[in-house]
Amino acid sequence: MDPILTTNILNVVYEVSTLAVVVLGLAVVFGLLNVMNLAHGEFVMIGAYCAFFVQTQDLPFLAAVPLALLVCGFIGLVVERILVRPLYARPFDTLLATWGLSMLLREAVEAIYGRGFRSVATPLTGSVDVLGAGYPAYRLLLTAVSIALVAGLVWWFVQSATGRRIRAVVNNPELAGSVGIPVTALARNTFVFGCCLAALAGVMLAPLLPVNPTLGLDFILKSFFVLVVGGLGSLVGLISGAGVIGGVESVVSAVSDRTWGYSTVLVIAILFLWLRPNGLFPRT
Amino acid sequence: MASFLVHSAALVAALAVLPQLVGEFWAYTLALYFLYAIAAMGIGLCWGQAGILPLGQSMFFGLAAYLSGLSLIHFGDSWLLLVLLPASALAPGLLAYGIGVLVFRGRTLTGPFFAMITLALTLLAFQIANSWNDVTGGFNGLKNIPGLPGLSDFTDLYYISASALAVCVLGVAWLRRAPAGVLWRAVAENEQRVRFCGFAVQNVKAVVFGISGVLAGIGGALYAPQQNLVTPQLCGFILSADLVIWAAVGGRATLYGPVVGAVLIGILTADLRDEISWWEVILAAIFIVVVLYFRQGLMGFVEPRFERLWRRAAARDIESPARPGAPDDTGFALDDVHVRVDRVRILEGLDLAVDRPGVYCLIGPNGAGKTSCFNAMTGELPVRSGRIRILGRERTGAAADVLSRIGVGRKFQAPSLFPDLTVAENFNVGLWGGRARLADLVRMRSHRWSSAILREAQARFPFLAEEDRRAGDLSHGQRQILELVMVLIAEPRLILLDEPSAGLSQAESREVVEAIRWVGSRLQACTVIVEHDMTFVREIADRIFVLHQGRLLASGTVAEIQADERVRAVYVGASA
Amino acid sequence: MTGAANGEVFSFAGVTGGYGATTVVRGVHGAIAAGEACCVLGRNGVGKTTLMRLLTGHLLLRSGTVRLAGQPLDGLAPDERHRLGLVYCPQDRPVFDNLSVRDNLTLMGPIDAGRHAPLLAAFPVLEARMAQSSGTLSGGERKLLSFVRGIAEPGRLLLLDEPSEGVQQENVERMAGFLREAKAAGRALLVVEQNLAFARDIADRVIVMDRGEVVLAGSAAEIDEDTLAAHLQV
Repeated sequence: MDPILTTNILNVVYEVSTLAVVVLGLAVVFGLLNVMNLAHGEFVMIGAYCAFFVQTQDLPFLAAVPLALLVCGFIGLVVERILVRPLYARPFDTLLATWGLSMLLREAVEAIYGRGFRSVATPLTGSVDVLGAGYPAYRLLLTAVSIALVAGLVWWFVQSATGRRIRAVVNNPELAGSVGIPVTALARNTFVFGCCLAALAGVMLAPLLPVNPTLGLDFILKSFFVLVVGGLGSLVGLISGAGVIGGVESVVSAVSDRTWGYSTVLVIAILFLWLRPNGLFPRT
Repeated sequence: MASFLVHSAALVAALAVLPQLVGEFWAYTLALYFLYAIAAMGIGLCWGQAGILPLGQSMFFGLAAYLSGLSLIHFGDSWLLLVLLPASALAPGLLAYGIGVLVFRGRTLTGPFFAMITLALTLLAFQIANSWNDVTGGFNGLKNIPGLPGLSDFTDLYYISASALAVCVLGVAWLRRAPAGVLWRAVAENEQRVRFCGFAVQNVKAVVFGISGVLAGIGGALYAPQQNLVTPQLCGFILSADLVIWAAVGGRATLYGPVVGAVLIGILTADLRDEISWWEVILAAIFIVVVLYFRQGLMGFVEPRFERLWRRAAARDIESPARPGAPDDTGFALDDVHVRVDRVRILEGLDLAVDRPGVYCLIGPNGAGKTSCFNAMTGELPVRSGRIRILGRERTGAAADVLSRIGVGRKFQAPSLFPDLTVAENFNVGLWGGRARLADLVRMRSHRWSSAILREAQARFPFLAEEDRRAGDLSHGQRQILELVMVLIAEPRLILLDEPSAGLSQAESREVVEAIRWVGSRLQACTVIVEHDMTFVREIADRIFVLHQGRLLASGTVAEIQADERVRAVYVGASA
Repeated sequence: MTGAANGEVFSFAGVTGGYGATTVVRGVHGAIAAGEACCVLGRNGVGKTTLMRLLTGHLLLRSGTVRLAGQPLDGLAPDERHRLGLVYCPQDRPVFDNLSVRDNLTLMGPIDAGRHAPLLAAFPVLEARMAQSSGTLSGGERKLLSFVRGIAEPGRLLLLDEPSEGVQQENVERMAGFLREAKAAGRALLVVEQNLAFARDIADRVIVMDRGEVVLAGSAAEIDEDTLAAHLQV
């Protein structure tokens, strides 16, 4: 196979699978709580800064994982209690409140670290030969970890008792309480879990991104567009949404430039929001 | 009217003396934030009045700034500026109206979707501004834009901004008081009821969005000559976000809230951003607190006290214009109508026909399809097959506002009105529907409309004459009657009532029976009532239709229905 | 078991509530002892389901009290009431239709041979569809699944909202049999019904509602069929 084609295909797979990890957290929270957490991207950003912090302390890269989970888990817990729970019945205000939260987190990080771009050293250097194309080893590892993570979470969601209960609450919240599912605690845990997932993605992506306070903005928009395109109905929707958004962006960026890639994604999102707001696979 | 003139004089005087009080430097700074304030007022109109949140107003601000910047660069000393500058301010309004028409068409659930569409559009606008080097100057923007001809010092710039602000504040103040403002607040509270009063809600929303586009446009068009520089950041996400925060913290539902928010927070931010590194964090926290606990914002503590003065109901001394001729036919017919929602069958070949004035009751067990029958008739549920004739013509799938204008009125099961509006404003929306022309919606005199039916209703139910009360403060029974009267003052020929006696006491229920009889005979209308309460049905029905599992099970007089074995079986259980 | 002195498992008084500003149920009262079944009867729209949602915590009481074994349930969420032994099978959307029949039954614990086996044997239609999504079941089969789920749970109080709606006659009779067994085992039942024969089959006490209020209440033996039919008839 043509090495350039191989590289591009790998790029698309990388883009789609890492995007899917970020969207998964957002989607589970939205499915269960009906809360579109516009600060989701900022948890990715904080995860990335955790990787940067660990680096400044001369600790191994992997130490960033527990740190990010701890920090974002704690913030998620507090946010769920004081910001999300009181607004369950006011979805529009939740949107605004989490949007305010996203500004708060962004500005807080900016106040600490400044606006400048930071870089995190890649823990795994060198490249691997894939069908004649040299591909960065860390990207390859990241793609594999992302796929494994998404697949593992999906398997857990389908198989575990907790996964079944989450699906039960999504389907019929009123009955869920009546059969004894502790809905409030489940909602809290799910929200915190979604934040942690975003944080984990942030740590993993940190070496490949220019780490800066506005990094979350890109992620929340792309994630939101994935949900808009894919619909909130199912995992198939999520994957196909991530495929369309991540795929289009990396393909158009490759043949033209990043501006065109980004603009194409925006146009697709606008068309979906306008003409097909329930996406390709709507929730029934 | 007098209060409006006093208000205008006070505002102009305050803006005129302000530079003397604060000095030249601050006057110049204020001049910039006045322009943002004008744009923020547009958000106040959309979000605080009509309930639609635009997250991309900077797109319109930026567009106007580029247009006016380009006009000044290329035609800086030509008379063409007299056309081009106003056009730069109006063009974003047209764009906004166009977007509104497309987005709101045939859709009711637009809340977050509308907000996200505008956000995505502004991001797209930023990309275009940032990369279309030939026209916009790309990342560096348009530089060295000449100022407005004939103006030189900072004070001149202040007076231009201040005049624009004064004109916009007074214009918005007028619109808020005019019928248009009442209609926007009504849309925010209960879109469905506005539609059933005969207004094409999508146009109402597109117009308010268009006006907000013009306001952002005025700000942007004046920005270019004032700052002499237009960069892509003017279309960016950050300015959009700032405008929303200013409107929210200042008070989105108030007239001066967005202005106070923009000027106060804008200037504080410009001043404190560099001194207090956590300033933006504090601001975000304030925004969250406002969203959670103080939705009315700063001016929400002040303005409502004044507002009560002019929201007092006007004397009704003008006879409302007659409604344009309704069709002569009465009645309706459903012919083999099927409705499904997802896979659930709601109506399964429903046949139902009524061809002369009278009172007809629809009864049947839960899930028989009674309310769905109304929903199919008024276009709320898509009809899969079958035909529906209403008032003499086939109107399968016709929209509620169209039906309302030809004479179909509908009352919902739970009282559907505008709880935060006064009783007078509730009546007015009912009166304006189908009667008011566009010009009537910006005239204050339309508040004084009256009609014979309204007067008779107020004589019959004295609480309806207390027009300054908030509709939400009425008792449940009073709200049921208020909604009924709102339906009736549109003088419909076909009246659909869904459980008009639900939650009423026996006495109230009897009054409703009388009111329905009175209007039915007075308007020569067909009245169709979904009702569970058999005492009520026995008292009022000329004829009963029994629905079961989406079909017509039986029809006849009260006595015939009571004797019907099939009806007994449905009601008492198969084995009884 | 503070309230067990007079044998009452469940009691409620002055129950008032509704949706938004609309009051649907006004001052409804009742009490059920262990081993007793109480049927709530009334025409459509008189507030029976609203009453159930008020008792189970899905709607907030505007006033009134609800006690389970003497303990007030004020402010407890539905899942907390469930933990205290209140089992509820709602009328509308009685099962999770995105889960399989088996998952509906095992959401909170595994299949119990002692409790589930006789039920599944009696309703082979469910046994045969254990792996199928319950969204594919008919309305009556869903009610049956909901009934099996509820009656297999160990709580001392069972609230059923129209369990027989859409269920085949022979299965309705089997349901009645299981409900009699539950009574014999000392459970308390509160059943909303439209099917008069089924109600008479199981009820020890009857509450008839109209316009959100109790219009007739008493022991099932004392109230004759014609009086009841008159209240339910068109």
